[in-house]
Amino acid sequence: MNKLITLCLATLISSQAVVASAATDTLTVYTYDSFVSKYGPGPKIKAAFEKNCHCELNFIAAEDGVSILNRLKIEGTKAKADIILGLDNALMKDAKETGLIADHQQDVSALSPTLSWSDKQFVPYDYGYFAFIYDSKKIPDPATSLRQLVDSDAKIIYQDPRTSTPGQGFMFWMNAVYGEQTNAAWKQLASHTVTVSKGWWEAYSMFLEGGADYVLSYTTSPAYHMIVESESKYKAAQFSEGHVTQVEVAAALNTSTQPELAQSFLKFLISAEAQSILPVTNWMLPVLDNTQLPEQFSQLVTPKLVDLSIETAVAERKNWIKDWRSNAAK
Amino acid sequence: MFTKPSNIVGLLFILIISCVTVLAFQGLIGFSQNGADLALLQDSYFHSILLFSIKQALLSALLSTLLAWPIARAIYYYPNIYFKQTFLSLSLLCFVLPTLVLITGFVSLLGLSGFITPFLPEQWSLYGLQGILLAHVYMNLPFAVRAMHQQLQNIPDSSWILARQLKFSRWQRFCMIEIPSLSANLGLIFGFISILCFNSFAVVLALGGGPQSTTLEVAIYQALKYDFNIPEALTLAWSQFAIAGIFFVLLYRSNSVPWLSKDSTQKLWIPSIGKTTKGIYLLIYTGTFVFMLMPLIALLPGVLAANYSIDLIVDVLQALSLTLVLGALSAVFAMLMAYCIMLPIRSAAQHRQLQLQNLLQWLANHTLIAPAMVLCVGLYILFLPLIDLDQLGIIFVLILNTLLILPFAIQQIRARVLQYDSDYALLYQSLKLTFGQKISIEWGYIKPVMLSTFALVLLIAMGDVAIFSIFGNNNLQTLPWLIYQYAGSYRIHEASFASAILLLVYFLILLKIERAKHHA
Repeated sequence: MNKLITLCLATLISSQAVVASAATDTLTVYTYDSFVSKYGPGPKIKAAFEKNCHCELNFIAAEDGVSILNRLKIEGTKAKADIILGLDNALMKDAKETGLIADHQQDVSALSPTLSWSDKQFVPYDYGYFAFIYDSKKIPDPATSLRQLVDSDAKIIYQDPRTSTPGQGFMFWMNAVYGEQTNAAWKQLASHTVTVSKGWWEAYSMFLEGGADYVLSYTTSPAYHMIVESESKYKAAQFSEGHVTQVEVAAALNTSTQPELAQSFLKFLISAEAQSILPVTNWMLPVLDNTQLPEQFSQLVTPKLVDLSIETAVAERKNWIKDWRSNAAK
Repeated sequence: MFTKPSNIVGLLFILIISCVTVLAFQGLIGFSQNGADLALLQDSYFHSILLFSIKQALLSALLSTLLAWPIARAIYYYPNIYFKQTFLSLSLLCFVLPTLVLITGFVSLLGLSGFITPFLPEQWSLYGLQGILLAHVYMNLPFAVRAMHQQLQNIPDSSWILARQLKFSRWQRFCMIEIPSLSANLGLIFGFISILCFNSFAVVLALGGGPQSTTLEVAIYQALKYDFNIPEALTLAWSQFAIAGIFFVLLYRSNSVPWLSKDSTQKLWIPSIGKTTKGIYLLIYTGTFVFMLMPLIALLPGVLAANYSIDLIVDVLQALSLTLVLGALSAVFAMLMAYCIMLPIRSAAQHRQLQLQNLLQWLANHTLIAPAMVLCVGLYILFLPLIDLDQLGIIFVLILNTLLILPFAIQQIRARVLQYDSDYALLYQSLKLTFGQKISIEWGYIKPVMLSTFALVLLIAMGDVAIFSIFGNNNLQTLPWLIYQYAGSYRIHEASFASAILLLVYFLILLKIERAKHHA
């Protein structure tokens, strides 16, 4: 037992000792956990940026995008961060209302036309289309439209719009496609919904255990299975109505004491170098269309966008959640 | 009683934990500049989730305790049943099973394409109230079995011998010996499980099948996180506090001090049972064993499919070390605090100050009913602007874990120390023993309970994710946190592997401690 404790302490201390102590400028970035995890983009992005900036990039991770924003609201002008990275397009409005977000001053004209980006404060660094993933060995003829899926009896798992961003994105999607008829569509969908989970991973792992025919995720999910697991049976269903995107964004804070360094980081995020790191670590699509990607990405579906203004969706969010609550209940 | 130094330490601890809760609420109220949003109390959505939370909690607790009874009897009356120690250790494992294992385990067994599903009726569905109850029973039934078995163990041999001399029928033995021995703690076990299920969240959503299965905890999470609507969160938190709190008060009031048990864990005399009864017990026991093992076995295909690399092993071991260190520290603190906190409570019990005893017990246990998320976020809001939580967050992880496992520690050791007092207090007071002598006599008496309680709270603390997700920093990772990181980045098999390692370590700890108990 004593040996075990000594061993534990030893590994603990060695893991602590990694923390660097350089006396150069430090750029502090608030982000979310999976971004900085070993398998996430964090370590590679840090190494690539530090190569040229003569600075240290310091990530502080919150649980997820929403937690970053909440932290910002709590700290206000006392926030340590120069940059916040990892909010999505649905949180931008809320974030701007804190009055802490600086203009990005970047040229965004080279970004993918799909995004038609015009925001002056946030820079998009990757994006993904929400999509239903299925096992092509089990389902040879997948649904080709959201309406077809809703009208079918296929077993579906999605995430709760109250507790998860994909769940919220799906709620926007349903409302964009069905408009006034959304309530009836929720009722129809509920008849063959297996369950609604708290977060993405619960739903996705239930699906991998064979718990459903379709699970809500991203069009890029099959890329992970192909590249890391050499497994090509998982595919994303492409819907004719178009899909909803989740755009992940970053911005500098106007409380930053080193605005130039912050700007250079934003510039780096949309550079070819950073863009080639993000898709295979964050499993999203690059915001530069000509980014070099593993061959497997070319096998992914490339859906069109559904007609939806994110501003309207955010404004209607509360009402839509109420509608979902009362109509998706069985 | 407020003058004895030992009591003062206990009272001080109670004061400290109460202050932490007050500070957390202060953090929330101060930040929002508003009190609770009381309009919510009129909302029909709020009523429906409240009703659902209560309903599923009571049903889960009822099923767990009712079903646990025959199983506890089986182990008690058939003491040399096979693998009994393993069974009892496994029981605690079920209680602390990570959500990931529980959810994926049940889905792979009983989901749409589960192993067992083909053998079930056509209309079977895992999702809905039945799924929630199944998962809650899985976690809590073994816990109840352990607790009831412990109670039955406390029946003194003399009672049985007397029953034989008086030629009690089986029914009479049941009514006059068994029931009283259980009733002392039955309410407590039931209430404890209800409160745990009342606060359940991720399992309820995953297996609930849709928004019809929403608990108060979901609403609190939504309000504190996605909406960041503090006034609404406050109303929800107060409601939860009130309901679970009232429940708790009722339980502790109805619960008398056990009159039984001059006991020892070594039973010499247990009524013999017939062949048929033995067969039935064996069947019940084996059925339960299989039920407990199934989701763990379902973990294996994932473990085998994991993408093994040195990196994976190193990460898992590193995370495991931190988990062990943090868990052990929290568990040691919690045990010390629990023992000290029991001192003034015992003193109140000895002096028959029932009101005071109840008040102290309520305060000491309130972190069980206070929504953990509210405590965490409240303290986070309060301290984030004041100190460097990115560096010192780990201290909060320790403190909050200690506070949240404290009620478990108190609940487990309470009956035993009160029993000790009622049996020996007068005796040792008259003997004028030294402090050291008193402690060593008492330690001999409470050691088995202290050890198994230590194991339980250690396991609970090691399994924490909720607190770590708020206060942890990104240079450190605990094993449960790593499991979620894997699961959150498609690496479900790696998550299975990490879960299996966590469970293995849990199991080794349990075995080790059971063994230590037997040498006690």
